[in-house]
Amino acid sequence: MSVELSLRIAATLVLIGLCVELVSLSWNSPIAFIVFVGVGGLAIALGILFFFYSIVALPRPNQGA
Amino acid sequence: MTNLIFAAVFGAIALLVPLMWRPEVTRARGGRIFAFLALAVVPVLAGLLGLEEHMERSKRTEFCLSCHPMEKYGKSLHVDDISFIPATHYQFGRVPRDTACFACHTNYTMFGDYKAKLTGLRHVYMQYLGKVPDKISLYQPYNNRECLHCHAESRSFLEAVTHKSEMQAIRDNQHSCLAKGCHDTTHGVDKLDTVSFWQNEVSK
Repeated sequence: MSVELSLRIAATLVLIGLCVELVSLSWNSPIAFIVFVGVGGLAIALGILFFFYSIVALPRPNQGA
Repeated sequence: MTNLIFAAVFGAIALLVPLMWRPEVTRARGGRIFAFLALAVVPVLAGLLGLEEHMERSKRTEFCLSCHPMEKYGKSLHVDDISFIPATHYQFGRVPRDTACFACHTNYTMFGDYKAKLTGLRHVYMQYLGKVPDKISLYQPYNNRECLHCHAESRSFLEAVTHKSEMQAIRDNQHSCLAKGCHDTTHGVDKLDTVSFWQNEVSK
């Protein structure tokens, strides 16, 4: 997997998380909090972890073969 | 607060879009710093602001009463009888009306708000996935600490004869404020059919 692709995946996950946060904030129900943490928070956390993975574990193009 | 959250979320999205469009910008050092801000710093900030907003919302009386099993507890706040402790607190402004439930049903300790809300997650589970018990009761005996948070230094508390004789036991939570013969009438939801209610503009 290339760094660019993994960055796109990370950004997409964070974007999904932020969109879920927006939806949950416009929804006044106890379930909104669960959705915010369980879906939005999880997506953002996964996106950030994926980002760190891509910058730490994946070889950059100028470092490759 | 809400405007700040929306600004943070839209700001985070605005930073993410160019990164998704051209991830190769991270080949340069400046691009990697930009990616770190866009993917880690700003989303975390937006998430923390959102969490705080949800916490504040969950403290509101209307939030607590939005679940059907809590309706009768909300009704008990309007009982026209000063022996009903929650009703008296609500009607006489001893707790803020818009956060009336949370004012008493929290822990006045460090991170107590968060502990109380973690406990509240069990309520959500019960409401949507479990079975709400016929008789709702506290998970643990009510701690005097929550009462004393407001009453500890009040003149009415300090000068009451019964309080004076039991002062240390009350402060040590050895003698419950809600003990039989003391302030033992709380929500009294099983008596709501037999009591009258305070009628005012707020309760209508």
